[in-house]
Amino acid sequence: MDFGLSRRDLALKEEIREFARAELPSGWRRSTLIDGECRDFEFEMDMSGKLARRGWLVMSWPEEYGGRGASLQEQTVYEMEIGYWGIPGAWMGISGTQWVGPCLIMFGTREQREKYLPLIAAGDRDGVWCTCYSEPNAGSDFANLQTRAVKDGDDYVVNGQKVWTSAAHRARWCWLAARTDAGGAKKHHGISILIVDMRSPGVTVSPILNYYGRHHFNEVFFDNVRVPASNLVGEENKGWYLLMQALAFERRSTAPTTYGHFRSLLEALAEYAAHTQYEGQLLSRNSAVRAGLADLAIDLEVLKLFAFQMAWRISQGQIPVYESSRNKVMSDDVMRRVAITGADLLGIYSQVDPDSYWAQLNGTIQGAYLGFPGQAIAAGTAEIEKSIIARFGLGLPRSY
Amino acid sequence: MDFSFTEEQDMLRSLAREFLTNECPSSSVREADEYEEGYDPRLWRRMAELGWMGLVLPEEYGGMNAGFMDLVVLMEEMGRSMVPGPFFSTVALCALPILEYGRSEQKAEFLPEIARGEEIWTMALAESSGGWRASEVCLHAELRDTHYVLQGHKLFVTDAHVADHLLVAGRAADGEEPEHGITLLLVDAGTPGMEIEPIRTIGGDRQFRVSFRGVTIPQDRVLGMAGNGWDIIDFILQRAAVLKSAEISGACQAVLDMTCAYAKERIQFDRPIGSFQAIQHKLADMMIDVDAVRYLLYQAAWGINVGSPASLQISAAKARANEAYQRICIEAVTTHGAIGYTRDHDIGLYYRRVKAAQFAAGHTDLHREVVVGELGL
Repeated sequence: MDFGLSRRDLALKEEIREFARAELPSGWRRSTLIDGECRDFEFEMDMSGKLARRGWLVMSWPEEYGGRGASLQEQTVYEMEIGYWGIPGAWMGISGTQWVGPCLIMFGTREQREKYLPLIAAGDRDGVWCTCYSEPNAGSDFANLQTRAVKDGDDYVVNGQKVWTSAAHRARWCWLAARTDAGGAKKHHGISILIVDMRSPGVTVSPILNYYGRHHFNEVFFDNVRVPASNLVGEENKGWYLLMQALAFERRSTAPTTYGHFRSLLEALAEYAAHTQYEGQLLSRNSAVRAGLADLAIDLEVLKLFAFQMAWRISQGQIPVYESSRNKVMSDDVMRRVAITGADLLGIYSQVDPDSYWAQLNGTIQGAYLGFPGQAIAAGTAEIEKSIIARFGLGLPRSY
Repeated sequence: MDFSFTEEQDMLRSLAREFLTNECPSSSVREADEYEEGYDPRLWRRMAELGWMGLVLPEEYGGMNAGFMDLVVLMEEMGRSMVPGPFFSTVALCALPILEYGRSEQKAEFLPEIARGEEIWTMALAESSGGWRASEVCLHAELRDTHYVLQGHKLFVTDAHVADHLLVAGRAADGEEPEHGITLLLVDAGTPGMEIEPIRTIGGDRQFRVSFRGVTIPQDRVLGMAGNGWDIIDFILQRAAVLKSAEISGACQAVLDMTCAYAKERIQFDRPIGSFQAIQHKLADMMIDVDAVRYLLYQAAWGINVGSPASLQISAAKARANEAYQRICIEAVTTHGAIGYTRDHDIGLYYRRVKAAQFAAGHTDLHREVVVGELGL
């Protein structure tokens, strides 16, 4: 057992701290959760470029694709710091660095890797991706997807509708799950992954505003969109396995960033409690406040350990079966608890608009409070994740 | 980071598991109550033969010179099997501080007896409030010439009926801070003026009030420095909190295993209840809790093992273990339904032990305070 960070990890933390101090506006705190991505896309892309030039953006990729073969442990430390400092631009449209790139490295053709990976690795605007999974009738029952891709000569012709597509309005490329064979024996047979140029004729993106009026997800319509057959990733009709891998990558990356972001929120809350008078005493003297903050600190400690444990498992060549779902559930719990405890601490100020002059802590708590239910649904609801844990972690019968 | 155990630790775990499965099945846990001691002394002997009491003691005292992490592995297994007896009192509460703070003649006098399983120890710290805070230590320990005279009561002292010696926290003088002026004394059981009276508990363990009425203890029986006893208690609290968390971790895993097995075999509505999501999601929550306790525990134990104990990590582990143990046991009993509420089922044995485990080495609120202190509050 060894729970220490290496000298290298500690140096990386320090470098990112200095980077954040130099590159972010003073007093910068993101209220990312309600926005999904950074509202200022120009700034986000600017930061992507800077992260790329520091060699961090895709650090765990092999050198030939613009990475430096960093360990997953180091990648985890990096993600925690990105979350802690609220550095935007690390994900290239959420999916680019986190699962499109890693999946292309595993399953892509040489041409695909050479074409797409350098754009992501450079933090280029043309390296921004969206992921088209969910459909009106394929949410938790993801395998029920109906978007069709029919082979026609050297192309696939894609027709269908996707929803809740984050960053589609900014993305240059789409990582699309579509049905290439409708006659499969099971719903998850006959699914394929295609790369779609978002500028293709027939692609329409229309915004869906979330309940706070913020725009980060969309509907995407495909109307006779022609996609070159060479854009198929992996084998035709066998996309389900690839999707499970992509989802595992996605669920892995939640825990480190959530840890970082919410650890910084916790520290801000502790600071707030230490300096805020309420009913004649400092909030920090109130025993309920103290117990609440302690429990958050403990939950965050758990999340941190889960993140490192999973990185370690993967680095041992093992495939984390239930851990990615466990980490997703724990991340969602941490978000919910920090948001609610934080809002309780702010008291009546918890209702102030995050952008208002009156907002405490730059509106981060309101951002978290408004945002956590949406984040908890993304990439798998708690109910789905717990069913996965029961099935693969505990060997109980399939229940869905 | 490295989340793996050494080969020796894996071996220790499997040996302990095998031994305890055979020698300490739940039936014998139930029967333990029938012994005057509250445990089977033959099992204690056999554990001593395996070298468990001296596991982390140096060879010169008859120990096996293993590390703290090895002791954690062993205690997880003991927790899994709910091993009755004074192991925790003797090893976690007393042997470790004697090894760390004892003078060489004290170590030579006491540690080999502990390692051989010949002598049993316990610590007398808590008083009427039951708290592990310095302010709660009121027992008078007044120095008169060459002797301390002890006057007062200690409560919730585990295994006092079988202890050969007690580590007693007394207050020699009122300091400015409650932590000042506390002295730890190595007291022989049965010293005139001592009296024990049982406090019956729901956990099946043995706890006592120990009264001191003018008990005189020679000055050379001070552990560490007179008046600086709180430093030692802090040392004990940290290690004991981790070791109690290890017991809890092992117990939680056992309860999860048992409940999961039951959910697979219990048929209602023509299918195993484990196929219902309402049950599955409870079990998934339990599994997450078990993992949380386990990794917090290992992290805290690692800190102690490498000589840099971190109070945040230790207190996070114990606070979370306390809460998770209770939650897991309650979910386990209710998942079992009425059978889980019966005397004959093992689940209840674990549930009944929750409270004792929570209050040993600091209850949740105490550890939350440590954690919040680490946040600068």
